[in-house]
Amino acid sequence: MTSRRNCCRRAVSSLAAVALAATSPAIAETEYPVVLPGVEVVFPRDHGAHPAYRTEWWYITGWVRDRAGRDLGIQVTFFRNRPGVAEDNPSAFAPRQLLFAHAALADAAHGRLRHDQRAARAGFGFARAAEDATDVHIGDWSLRATTQGYAARIAAGEFTLDLAFRVTQPVLLQGAGGYSRKGPLPGQSSFYYSRPHLAVSGMVVVDGVRLEIAGEAWLDHEWSSEYLAPEAQGWDWTGVNLADGGALMAFRIRDRHGGTFWAGGTLRRSDGTVRRFAPGEIAFTPLRTWRSPRTEAEYPVAMRVRAGTLELELAPMMDDQELDSRASVGTVYWEGAVRALEGEREIGRGYLELTGYWRPLRL
Amino acid sequence: MATLAASRLLGLLRATAGSLGAGKGRLSISIAAIALGVALGYAVQLVNRVAVNEFAQAVQTLSGTADLVIRGPRGGFSEQVLGEVAQLPEVAAASPIVEVEARIPGRDEALRLLGIDVFRAGLVQPGLVPEVAAVPQPSAPDSPSREMPSLDTLRDDTVFLNAAAMAALGMGVGDFLPVQVGTGIVRLRVAGEVRAEGHAQPLAVMDIAGAQWRLGRLGRLGRIDLRVHPGVDVAELARRIGAVLPPGVAVERPSAAIESTVRLSRSYRVNLNVLALVALFTGGLLVFSTQALAVVRRRPYLALLRVLGLTRGAMMLLLLLEAAAVGAVGALVGLAGGYALAELVLGTVGPDLGSGFFRGVVARATFEPAPALLFLVLGIATALLGSLAAANEAARTEPAQALKAGDEQRAFRRLTPVWPGLAFIALGAALAGAPPVNGLPVFGYAAIACLLVGTILLLARIARAVFDRIPVARRPAARLAVLQLRGAPGQATVSLAAIVASVSLLVSMAIMVASFRQSLDQWLQHVLPADLYLRAAPTGDSAFLPPDVQEAIAALPGVRRVEFLRSERLLLDARRPQIVLLARPIDAASAASRLPLVRSAPPPAGAAPPAWVSEVAADLYGFDVGQEIELPIGGRSVPFHVAGVWRDYARQQGAVVIERALYAELTGDRNANDAAIHLEPGAAPESVARALRERVPGSGELETVLPAEIRQRSLAIFDRTFAVTYALETAALAIGLMGLSSSFGALVLARRREFGVLRHLGLTRAQVGAMLAAEGGIVSALGLGVGAALGWIISLILIHVVNRQSFHWSMDLHVPWGSLAAFTAIMLGLASLTALASGRQAMGGDAVRAVKEDW
Amino acid sequence: MLRIRSLAKRYHGPRSRTVLAGVDFDLAAGEYVAVMGESGIGKSTLLNLIAGLDRPDAGSIELEGRELGALDDDALTELRRARMGFVFQAFHVLPYLSVAENVALPLVLLGERATPRDERVAAMLGAVGLEDRAASRPSELSGGELQRVAIARALVHRPALVLADEPTGNLDPDSAAQVLALLRDAVKRHRSAAILVTHSRAAAASADRIYTLTAGGLVAGDTRGAA
Repeated sequence: MTSRRNCCRRAVSSLAAVALAATSPAIAETEYPVVLPGVEVVFPRDHGAHPAYRTEWWYITGWVRDRAGRDLGIQVTFFRNRPGVAEDNPSAFAPRQLLFAHAALADAAHGRLRHDQRAARAGFGFARAAEDATDVHIGDWSLRATTQGYAARIAAGEFTLDLAFRVTQPVLLQGAGGYSRKGPLPGQSSFYYSRPHLAVSGMVVVDGVRLEIAGEAWLDHEWSSEYLAPEAQGWDWTGVNLADGGALMAFRIRDRHGGTFWAGGTLRRSDGTVRRFAPGEIAFTPLRTWRSPRTEAEYPVAMRVRAGTLELELAPMMDDQELDSRASVGTVYWEGAVRALEGEREIGRGYLELTGYWRPLRL
Repeated sequence: MATLAASRLLGLLRATAGSLGAGKGRLSISIAAIALGVALGYAVQLVNRVAVNEFAQAVQTLSGTADLVIRGPRGGFSEQVLGEVAQLPEVAAASPIVEVEARIPGRDEALRLLGIDVFRAGLVQPGLVPEVAAVPQPSAPDSPSREMPSLDTLRDDTVFLNAAAMAALGMGVGDFLPVQVGTGIVRLRVAGEVRAEGHAQPLAVMDIAGAQWRLGRLGRLGRIDLRVHPGVDVAELARRIGAVLPPGVAVERPSAAIESTVRLSRSYRVNLNVLALVALFTGGLLVFSTQALAVVRRRPYLALLRVLGLTRGAMMLLLLLEAAAVGAVGALVGLAGGYALAELVLGTVGPDLGSGFFRGVVARATFEPAPALLFLVLGIATALLGSLAAANEAARTEPAQALKAGDEQRAFRRLTPVWPGLAFIALGAALAGAPPVNGLPVFGYAAIACLLVGTILLLARIARAVFDRIPVARRPAARLAVLQLRGAPGQATVSLAAIVASVSLLVSMAIMVASFRQSLDQWLQHVLPADLYLRAAPTGDSAFLPPDVQEAIAALPGVRRVEFLRSERLLLDARRPQIVLLARPIDAASAASRLPLVRSAPPPAGAAPPAWVSEVAADLYGFDVGQEIELPIGGRSVPFHVAGVWRDYARQQGAVVIERALYAELTGDRNANDAAIHLEPGAAPESVARALRERVPGSGELETVLPAEIRQRSLAIFDRTFAVTYALETAALAIGLMGLSSSFGALVLARRREFGVLRHLGLTRAQVGAMLAAEGGIVSALGLGVGAALGWIISLILIHVVNRQSFHWSMDLHVPWGSLAAFTAIMLGLASLTALASGRQAMGGDAVRAVKEDW
Repeated sequence: MLRIRSLAKRYHGPRSRTVLAGVDFDLAAGEYVAVMGESGIGKSTLLNLIAGLDRPDAGSIELEGRELGALDDDALTELRRARMGFVFQAFHVLPYLSVAENVALPLVLLGERATPRDERVAAMLGAVGLEDRAASRPSELSGGELQRVAIARALVHRPALVLADEPTGNLDPDSAAQVLALLRDAVKRHRSAAILVTHSRAAAASADRIYTLTAGGLVAGDTRGAA
């Protein structure tokens, strides 16, 4: 799921999409390391970038609250891509490593997302993803590891984020020790770990107002050389910080007919035990759809998600969390803050990602 | 009230004028003359406006939303500059660009090829971000790939063309674009289109890393476009950035590039505008002669109107209104004609009017209201001024006197005092020496205007003096001709003014152009002393001769010596175009034989390395012999001693010559652009050229030319550049001839009664014809003489003041005696023929009855 | 000296009309006659035909035994130059020539050498009372004076025939009388024949004989009063 989701997120992060032009035969010329089981994920080294792999991202989503009690959704993504071109070009501008970033702010009072993006080739001290630790920046947008966790600074067009993320739980390795299957072929996989329940504090400046905020976030770090299966139409993904300290990640990749092509997920209970789900154990059931007045796309913004025996309903912070990135990436999708409900009771908060509802995601 | 009455009277006058038949024809010529002047001026204005607009738009597209642009030498500056400026907190986005004028084999025009960082360009110049061709994907017809950047924008072997480039090159997606780099060919796959809206000339875009590597620009940038955060003091930031930039690299607002180019072309444009104004002026003189004669012919009618109660002022107003109507009609016709002419020029010569300043700009004319209004006013004003003398004459005439038969001969007899004419000429002489204003020879033009006006004011005096000195012949026809001229010099003066104005313009232009051409020819012979020349490419800056090719050329059989030349462009002043740096083997001792020096002095011992600056460079940057100057070479400021100033007709932005070995030492650049090959005695250039093709690697793209061919080509370019001037000359000639025949025709018609009397008295038709031919001949000869003399003086001002100040180059006077003599003979013949024809027309059977006409 | 037979002239054009028909007329040398007639009857046409400036549609004009119809334009011009003189209603003194130069014109045209020419001109100016205005420009002269210049010019080359077309039409009565007297005197002194075309009875009265041009031809006597 991560890789699917990766794909999605690539789309999110503006020009990341170039990496997915992998259908182009020229890509085949570049030898990417294949993600295979049995490779151990090692920290702290694997917090840093893996430039040999084609794609990689650090993806933070979370719910925060200002002092007035208003809920906000935040999303900060940094994406690294090795396009596999110009690898022998001696130019300092050679686009061997590309970096993208995407940030969004969800605010129910505003009614729709505020978002912005950055893109650059690594180099000239302007954009860089360090290999030894999480340290990635494009201009004045950055995500860096700190002694306590992470810090993100984002100066977007409509808002500014200055956030600290404190680690409260150990790393959650997805899949088999970080080896996460994305499709029926063994190579269709990624290295993937998550950091749920990051404690967020800091500032959000929006509409010229400086808000002191606090809340909880989720970080994914994933790297792979894989690509989206051609049969896929899009996917649904969610990551939820459960109120009891547990964490749920679930995804399914849809085929052309809306059926499930692949699925997966992980539940870490509050006691630290981890349950990994086989594709057949995951189910996404739309409960309510919302039609975008701008694109006419219809999204299942409320979902029932079943992961093994766990069943919960995802209810959006607001319906309109559609992200129109046609101008840069060429696609439109939905990425929004959701509440996880069990009956009437809220049992967690997280993010839901819906792609391929506008048009088939063809990257 | 007065106007109403006047307009009614105008109708009356019109009717009376119409009754004389020929009025309409002369009216049309006046209208045509005004129209021609207005058309030329408006067309120049329109065409130039289009050129500047298109150029500005192209620059706009290239700079996008940039607030500042960092530029340097043509070869580029260190990419480290990007690291420094991109980090500045005030800078919102910095877009680095590699600029290459790519030589495309087999094409005359270089292709502008930009290496961009698609991510940064997207923030500053979104128009330059390519659109990737949609790859047909049957499974996904709605593929968004068309809207997304693709890997092709990042590859180093792909290129994106705008529509103009695709059309010009005849290429589409999937084709391979060959670019000559050095002496080799780099093939780039056309992967899609770049819209670059507003950039009407061909443009190619590729990835910056690919451009740096494939096109030989590693480590170098041509430009950095900066967009700053809102609220930042751009000027202050520019100052701070400028302070840390290496020598020869400057930061300016994007409009500076437009201004510097527009500035470079301004002199040329102003010259054309002045020519158009001269045409208009000639038109004004034609109106003057037409109106003057109309007033003479209608003298009794006008007197009658005065008798009937028309006041002096109303009479004046009446005639001026009439002229204004003529001017307005002429100007309107001219505006339409000017628009059509502009379209024609844009479609054929191109918007740079053959000057080459805006090469590659393609555009259509658009109606411009402001200049249209200006030229409408100019046309009307010209007609008003032209008719002022006539109106004044008519208004001042005592009606009782005018009613007397035969009084028309008295018109314009009053001699103006001598001093205004002399004062104008003296003023003209004084102004000719004044320096340019804002780079324009304003005083030079004023001097010419003063001389012209002064001479015209003195024409009556000159005419009288000359006519009084012509011996009275015995033969009746000639005798009568002389007596007529002596008796009525005023009328002759009216024709003379038009002749003198157009002839002096023609002669001065002819002398100036001939001098220029001759000087250019001599200059070419001086700067092309070798037996064979070789160029890496005729255009662009992507081609060069690498050291191994240079060695191979020098080793060719039959080659005695080769001088290699490296050409670069340095930015000395951000508000001016880059100056050309020519690095070639030269020293103080050999400079005179290699450069057409206009002044020089041997450098003192211990002086900095010598540099020789062109006249243009000397004028623009204030360089002079003996001075120490600093040139930004290789990212450093290097001192030079100006050892000489040389004449250079080739580089209008200025040029500096330095020793090539020193240049190579400073920059590490050992490539060359051109080679001047001196052959062993007896070696044939053709066989050496053949050997070159056989033995030198990559020589297939090299171009060898004989000096004679270069000379021929250069002169052809010169002639093309002056095509517009020639066109204006022809127009002036047309106006002059029209003026001549119109004046004569009018004069002759006015004298029908006289011919009738003479016929009564026993003059044969042939004798009357001979008389008219003699009169026409004498007046024309005088006009030609005065016009030629004045033209010669004006040509001196054009050569030594106007051209020197406009284009900063000197030339030697060369009078094209042959063509001037032929011109004079033709004009004389035409004048006599015109007079004869007019006489024939006037002497029909009506001549007899003309004696009965009481008025 | 002048013999006209069956002379006819038609003007062609949109409104063709006959101006002269069946005119017969004889004039002896030294004879001074006046021709009167209504406006438009063809008096000036008659003069033009006699002067060879226009061609008749029918009939013949013989001057001193030469048939005008047989001469081409140049021959007619030379005949006019040598044998005729003209006085016009509007004077037609060339404004750009001095009085003397105007009077000298016929002699210049006839190729007379300078010395005899100047003497003749002086004498002629004396005869018309303008000896002191020789160097004057025509514009400085009064109407009467201008017509006296014209008379001098008409007679300076001793023509056989003087044609005067309303010479007093533009003059006040006093000047007119003076001019008529002068004309008659000059014609008689030079023994020229003269035809005076006029509306004025007073003017006509200065002639030896008076004819009236009618639609039927030229008839002797002033018949207008009778009509």
